Amino acid sequence: MANRGKQKLNLTIMVLLSAYLILPLGLTFLYSLFQEWTSMLPTGFTLRYYVDLFQDPGFYLPILRTLIISTVPVLLCTAITILAMYVIVVHHPKWQKYMQIFCTIPYSLQGVILAISILALYSGLPLPFSDRIAMLVCTYCILILPYIYRGIQNSLNAINARQLIEAAMLLGYKPLAAYLRVVVPNLLSGITVSFLLSVSLLFGDFVVVNIIGGSYYPTAQMYLYKMMFRSGQQTSAMIVILFALTLLISAGVLVLQQRNKKSVAHKQEVADGFHTI
Amino acid sequence: MLNEQALASANQSSIQTLQRFNGFRAKRRTYLLALLPFIVLIITYELAPLMTMVIRSFLTPKTGEFTFANYAAIFQKKLYRDAVFNSLSLSLFSAGIGIVIAFFGAKAIYESTLKRRNTFMSILNMTSNFAGVPLAFSYIILLGNAGVLIHLGRHFGISFLENYNLYSFSGLVLVYVYFQIPLGTMLMVPAFQGLKQEWREAVSLLGGGSVRYWFKVGLPVLLPSLLGTFSVLFSNAVAAYATAYALLGGNFSLLPIRISEQFVGDVLQRKEFGSALAVMLMVLMVGVTILSNWLLKRAGQQRSTYGK
Repeated sequence: MANRGKQKLNLTIMVLLSAYLILPLGLTFLYSLFQEWTSMLPTGFTLRYYVDLFQDPGFYLPILRTLIISTVPVLLCTAITILAMYVIVVHHPKWQKYMQIFCTIPYSLQGVILAISILALYSGLPLPFSDRIAMLVCTYCILILPYIYRGIQNSLNAINARQLIEAAMLLGYKPLAAYLRVVVPNLLSGITVSFLLSVSLLFGDFVVVNIIGGSYYPTAQMYLYKMMFRSGQQTSAMIVILFALTLLISAGVLVLQQRNKKSVAHKQEVADGFHTI
Repeated sequence: MLNEQALASANQSSIQTLQRFNGFRAKRRTYLLALLPFIVLIITYELAPLMTMVIRSFLTPKTGEFTFANYAAIFQKKLYRDAVFNSLSLSLFSAGIGIVIAFFGAKAIYESTLKRRNTFMSILNMTSNFAGVPLAFSYIILLGNAGVLIHLGRHFGISFLENYNLYSFSGLVLVYVYFQIPLGTMLMVPAFQGLKQEWREAVSLLGGGSVRYWFKVGLPVLLPSLLGTFSVLFSNAVAAYATAYALLGGNFSLLPIRISEQFVGDVLQRKEFGSALAVMLMVLMVGVTILSNWLLKRAGQQRSTYGK
């Protein structure tokens, strides 16, 4: 009896919290569908704001910019970290702890401090350094480093990389080739989750792009910020579209996570099999 | 049999491989080139900016002499004193409210059926993406000057809603709490999994009720995670920029906004003073982490003296 009461209480807590969390989101969606909301209920259902957005040629460029700037740094950061991990895994396992420290510092720095400190250092210098887009890409690389590093480290733990490399070297591979052709392909599915998480993080970024990119690289978030002062409905429609894109990325994360649970077990079998050949 | 032989030979050759490995290592160090891009990235975009910022915060503009004046200036001007105070209290409030709600949210998840748990977790996951400018804007249409809830308040004569001012300290707390809840709850869920059913049974065997269980067993066990989550929420709030910027622009003094003004402002750039403000922000974040670790250690000592 007491248990049932408790279940009811828990359900109430979850329903209330869900309602609280969904309210602003749902309201923004409703707001984008009506012409006016100046009394109790909205009036004048319309899809005009979405049509307007999609017909505006100025709408696609910021979205394209956002997609580019949220994937290129992630690709770059993943490649750089994978290469660095080669040295750690194969040659100097003891350096692992330093690697971990350098990769976790950005997590505690947060966007503002990182962006400001990079801008302050490089904005006065000559070109390759003061180029805003290069600066933005590198800042993003550092910002997502903790997540990329965690993803790679976790997948490395799951596959026993040293064993794989030893086995591949028995088959005549050089260490680097063994790492790139045997270990890295095995990492990929594990990395994709942290990869997509980072993409969605950068996709929603406003802090860094506002400080460093400024008007040099107006992304969708900047476009949204400017739109806020023009039309409420239009802004709501834009928010809904951006949020839907973010959800699409997170849905990818979820699907991959489910699949990974299965494939990690499978990979362990493959790795074991490899070793006993 | 065959397998064992294969295994033995595999072991032997893996020893040989290891020897080859080490020989390879001694001969050439070209492999270190693979580490080069990483080192360059870390030095140029993580360590160098950070160190120059700390050093610059102690320099006099133009002359470059060592000084504490930048830090003194933070406390001399009301604008910046307010920024520190507002950031600190906004973060403490939002993290405090956030952690309490996160505790009950995670507790509800822990005690619920799998299906409900999954649904609620997906909602948390989804809404944790809703932050920054979009979040600020949706609070504006909810509770801003012409917000939907303001209209409702006017319609039903609820003066609290009708006169609510989103562009204030309490408005900021409200919006900040929104993004603290999903994060805090998701961080607390794993901690609850560490609570064992047997402990609860043991307490009830000894005649203790639910309240006693939570105060004597549950909360002390969860304390490290609660403090840890609190400091994550605090850092999250103290460094948050987009939400406050979109909601209030420069009209409310908060550290992250005042910091960025010193560097990107159209007016005068004051890098030295801005650096001091940024170091101040880092000190706040590190301070709360250290404080929570210290509290934890003290709680641990107290518990061990109980044992004696």
